[in-house]
Amino acid sequence: MMRSTAVSLALGYVVLGIAALVLFAAPLWYAWQVTIHEGRTEFLQADAQRLTDVFRRDGADGLKTFIDARVQMQIANERILLLTDASMHPLAGNLRAWPAGVPVAPGNYTINLNLGNQGVQNALIHVARLGGGYNLLVGRDNALFAPLQTHFWYGLAAAVAVLSIAGLLIGLITRRALMSRVNSIRQTVSAIIHGDLKHRLPTHLNDDELNTLSRTINGMLEQIELLVHGVRDVSNSIAHDLRTPLAELRSRLEELALIRPPPEQTYAEIDGAVADVDRVIRIFDALLRLAEIDAGLRRSGFVALDLADLAASAVEFYAPAAELKNIELVFRSDGPLPVSGDPILLAQALGNLIDNALKYAPENGAIEVAVRRCGDGNAEVSVSDNGPGIADSEKSKVVERFYRGDASRGTPGVGLGLSLVQAVAKLHGSSLVLSDATPGLRAAVTIPLDAANTVALATAPPQTAPGSAVPAPVTCVRVPTSTSS
Amino acid sequence: MKILLVEDNERVTQFVVKGLQEAGHTTDHAGNGRDGMFLAASEPYDVIIMDRMLPGDIDGLAIIEVLRKTGKRTPILILSALTEVDDRIRGLRSGGDDYLTKPFAFGELLARVDALHRRAKGVDTEVPLTVGDLHMDPLTRRVTRGDRPIALQPREFKLLEYLMRHAGQVVTRTMLLENVWDYHFDPQTNVVDVHISKLRQKIDAEFERPLLRTVRNAGYTLTAGD
Repeated sequence: MMRSTAVSLALGYVVLGIAALVLFAAPLWYAWQVTIHEGRTEFLQADAQRLTDVFRRDGADGLKTFIDARVQMQIANERILLLTDASMHPLAGNLRAWPAGVPVAPGNYTINLNLGNQGVQNALIHVARLGGGYNLLVGRDNALFAPLQTHFWYGLAAAVAVLSIAGLLIGLITRRALMSRVNSIRQTVSAIIHGDLKHRLPTHLNDDELNTLSRTINGMLEQIELLVHGVRDVSNSIAHDLRTPLAELRSRLEELALIRPPPEQTYAEIDGAVADVDRVIRIFDALLRLAEIDAGLRRSGFVALDLADLAASAVEFYAPAAELKNIELVFRSDGPLPVSGDPILLAQALGNLIDNALKYAPENGAIEVAVRRCGDGNAEVSVSDNGPGIADSEKSKVVERFYRGDASRGTPGVGLGLSLVQAVAKLHGSSLVLSDATPGLRAAVTIPLDAANTVALATAPPQTAPGSAVPAPVTCVRVPTSTSS
Repeated sequence: MKILLVEDNERVTQFVVKGLQEAGHTTDHAGNGRDGMFLAASEPYDVIIMDRMLPGDIDGLAIIEVLRKTGKRTPILILSALTEVDDRIRGLRSGGDDYLTKPFAFGELLARVDALHRRAKGVDTEVPLTVGDLHMDPLTRRVTRGDRPIALQPREFKLLEYLMRHAGQVVTRTMLLENVWDYHFDPQTNVVDVHISKLRQKIDAEFERPLLRTVRNAGYTLTAGD
């Protein structure tokens, strides 16, 4: 128990509290003692002075009568009085003899006096010498203040006791509360270790340290579960979608072994088989690339780049292919767009979009690739074609893996192109937005502009003449219109 | 040339060794990391083909790192089943010169081995290039065939330069994508072929002997011979 953080902390506070109490009480006690002592000394001196005055005025007999009257009046023996002659013989007062230990010399003394019926009491004594050998002793019994002092000490002790017990209790209660929460975390975590990723740590509404930690851990679990599911999904897709080409390959080879056609035909079949295998490999590569992007592992490939420059290169790369199909490939840009991203993946994503557009744009059609600055600090790259477009009902489906729209039947491709674009967009904190170009399809991806990136400004040639009007910022849609999210 | 193949899979080994022999190369083979390390460190090779994952406690990357640290600069082609871009980068950072993922076409392997060998012999980027009667001056960026000047777009120039630097060798589409455009993906359309045919229009169309030829199932080669 002593090793519990909560208990040690509580004990520490208790010790600190006691120290504070003592530090508070000690000077108070000292000041009090000094004040009492001084007050009583003055009081005794005044008393002695008054008696001395009586002695001067009325002589020893007068004083004797005065003292006797005073002793008679007294209810409690609080006041001590004694008058003696030169031979120390008591003449008047409530002491039977000059107390031993009190010197016969003027001054103040603190001694323990035997007061007869009241037992031994601590008293403050003042001695004065009167003329003619007479000695006067005036005293006050200190017992009057004793109960007050006792109360002071009791109070201090009680405070220390309350502090210690409360501190210890709070420590124990905190420890129990902490232990129960830590235990519940421990149980959840061990359930997760044993393979059930569904579990989450309990969280509360308040935002204390443990809760914040639990939330962070839950976030981590969320991501882990996502990754595990991602891997499972990929293995499922692989199992499902590689079976078809593998089955084709298998029957081709089996037939070859069975029929044993003439060499020329055999070679042709072998070439076909190699092409089948290449197709399988391509699907495989695409799936692995997708899984890699989905896992978010490619963030390490992020560098400062110019999106406009990247798009210009892609357009230049595809220009001859467009020319071949008599498609007009237009590139629009309003200057460098500094972003932070993965150049390899962005090039591939843009390549896929242009590939798609080239596939679906009609002969003599038109494709526009445009990069622009959005009003909200994003850069947008879009590819529009004037092909058949995609029906609204299909827009959300085309980004799914292996989905191929009706229009794509009979065209080459494995149905992973747009899912890759979507995955790349997601990696860059964005999404693929598909809309109608009336006619045709407009596919756009937005990426946040990176103000710290100076690459674009340094390398790109100035696209607008100095002083020319800067294009007005435009609004870019960042959420796909076809999905509910 | 003399090539070392470090590869543990027997079928792949057989396939590669036979292919390299047919292409006129002598090949040594090591089936595990220990033998591979020993051969690579003791024998002079022109090119080393290194499988990344090897049985035993020494993997391909470890061998490459040791070789580079001891000052061996033999060009190395890494073979790997790991396709992720990061794996590729890690492989090249460890000291490999090129990276080829399994499974691969033999033509691709041979083309890359040739390119590595050529590169290792030193490339002077300023010396004019000549293939047959085709001339290119990388400094003035002038290209002529016979005595006729040929006007090229910047990217066409880069494409032709790459082909000329690898004259007589087979250059695959992937190699062109990687080296001319710096693209590391497989475009679904045959864009590279279109670029090649455009280039062919410019350098071959009006001449009797074509220089730029298509190699079936492999890629292209620029050659003056037959």
